[in-house]
Amino acid sequence: MPSSSLSSPSPTQRLLGSAQLIYQGAEAKVYKVYLRDPELQQIAKHADHDTCSMAEDAAPVLLKYRFNKRYRHPSLDASLTRQRVAGEARALMRCLRSGVNVPGIRMVDAAGGVLGLEWVDGKSVRVLLPGGSEVMVAQDSDATDDVGPDRCEDAALAEFGVERDDLLSMIGVEIAKMHIADIIHGDLTTSNMMLRRGGKDLVLIDFGLAYHSSLVEDKAVDLYVLERAFASTHPDAEPLFNSVLASYAKRLGKHWSAIKKRLDDVRLRGRKRSMVG
Amino acid sequence: MALLRDSRNSRLTSPKKPFLALGLEGSANKLGAGVMKHNEDGSTTVLANVRHTYITPPGEGFLPRDTAQHHREWAIKVIKDAVSQAGISMHDLDCICYTKGPGMGAPLQSVALVARTLAIMFNKPLVAVNHCVGHIEMGREITGAQNPVVLYVSGGNTQVIAYSRQCYRIFGETLDIAVGNCLDRFARVINLSNAPSPGYNIEQEAKNGKRLVPLPYTTKGMDVSLSGILTSVEAYTADERFRPTGTPYSPEDDVITPADLCYSLQETVFAMLVEITERAMAHIGSTEVLIVGGVGCNERLQEMMGIMAQERGGRVFATDERFCIDNGIMIAHAGLLSYRTGYNTPLEKSTCTQRFRTDEVRVTWRL
Repeated sequence: MPSSSLSSPSPTQRLLGSAQLIYQGAEAKVYKVYLRDPELQQIAKHADHDTCSMAEDAAPVLLKYRFNKRYRHPSLDASLTRQRVAGEARALMRCLRSGVNVPGIRMVDAAGGVLGLEWVDGKSVRVLLPGGSEVMVAQDSDATDDVGPDRCEDAALAEFGVERDDLLSMIGVEIAKMHIADIIHGDLTTSNMMLRRGGKDLVLIDFGLAYHSSLVEDKAVDLYVLERAFASTHPDAEPLFNSVLASYAKRLGKHWSAIKKRLDDVRLRGRKRSMVG
Repeated sequence: MALLRDSRNSRLTSPKKPFLALGLEGSANKLGAGVMKHNEDGSTTVLANVRHTYITPPGEGFLPRDTAQHHREWAIKVIKDAVSQAGISMHDLDCICYTKGPGMGAPLQSVALVARTLAIMFNKPLVAVNHCVGHIEMGREITGAQNPVVLYVSGGNTQVIAYSRQCYRIFGETLDIAVGNCLDRFARVINLSNAPSPGYNIEQEAKNGKRLVPLPYTTKGMDVSLSGILTSVEAYTADERFRPTGTPYSPEDDVITPADLCYSLQETVFAMLVEITERAMAHIGSTEVLIVGGVGCNERLQEMMGIMAQERGGRVFATDERFCIDNGIMIAHAGLLSYRTGYNTPLEKSTCTQRFRTDEVRVTWRL
């Protein structure tokens, strides 16, 4: 059931109405909303399924709204939106259960196309690594609001009290935890990782393309996607990515050799193939 | 034909004298010859654009050997027509451009042979052209789109392309079959005519479709997969609710018609294509989108792309069948662009290849 019915707006729609749009990507609009207003809290409670904790009522919530695509047939659009919101929530839930650092789920309205997530206060990893802040390419759901043209990545890192090597090893550990839980992110880039203020946690975000798989192939491709993202965003990315891989390997233990072998295959094959015609 | 604008973001300076090129295209079942003129003021003129299509009976595709034979039979007539329509003599040409690839081997070789023969006979330089780049450059030239995201959709290719640093980079593409191939093969399954093209007949049939049957929806990031959809839509023709065209049924019956399947196939596949195009546009921050290739003349695809572009505050550029469907003029145009930057293909290197990726070409004529 599409949420844009002619009757009075759904609680989710009213929540969106009170939220502040912070970013629009290809697929979704990202909003920031405070659940302090008692009426709004009521709404959130109502729409929520399990995890709304009122202790954090002062903390903002991020709403990821997959809006209607008018070019798509309405019933196709509705079923895709429902599947994708539910799929993203499912992947996040699995990560949370396995102790992977991802944003907590605050509400799910699959039919309405809205996923409410914990607001992560921190910085995108892209701007914390060399070169990342130079390219201001629009990225899907880059939730940081302060991605300014900050060229002094190391100064930014110092603010978090984290060395670059620590950051890289945190990235490897987090991806390893996710892969051990058999979740494939599908779009690993440095824009889709955040360092939480305080510097303790590295948080993986944007599970819009994530899926469940235990195949070595899928994990290797996931890593390859990240390698390509490093190479295109950060100059001299090779040592950076190698540190990530080293900590990934350490965490993965005995499963690493199979993935390493496959990653070498994937690199050789590339993702692109030659076309006929 | 009308005078067209030259692109502003070009490395080429306006020529001191007009340039004339003959373009020969025959990578699939269309044999095309076109004569292009690049004028001193930077504009371009299409002097001739002649095409002859090899059409097979319903239910049959075109095989390489027969297609090559068609091209050999028609080459002289099509080229003579183009040259006489253009009102020029072969001696006036600056160069002869031909499709190097990608495409079917035998047809490509036949046309390359014709190009080589003409080059020797009239002592003209040869220019080998990438078919995909030909489509893109012609689309830009006709529509005036400056730096669009390009959706290139045809019988053999499905790619989302954007220009960056002397290269047409492929952002997304099909992981298996091309979208035109998917449509054409389904047209064969339900026995639609191949004239003027199977895709055109699918489009007309889809206009009568009422029911959207569920089909797989397989976008993977900026890539799509289409082979499973073809299998699924074919499977519906074996469904007990399926009624081939001409079978009587009452309006209240629960039936699936060929029109319904064409409609569902188009809606699903085009939605996937628009989605990956939108992703690429969001990724590189562009608002212009250009559709090229044979499937690009499908008006439903253009309409859907238009809605998407409008929602992003941009616009869609598309051309009609004269320039969307394979033609010689695009080869002449792209060939001239590279010829004017000093490129030509020596006779002994004038080969063709079935595999020739869009991103393998160094685009020397753009900034």
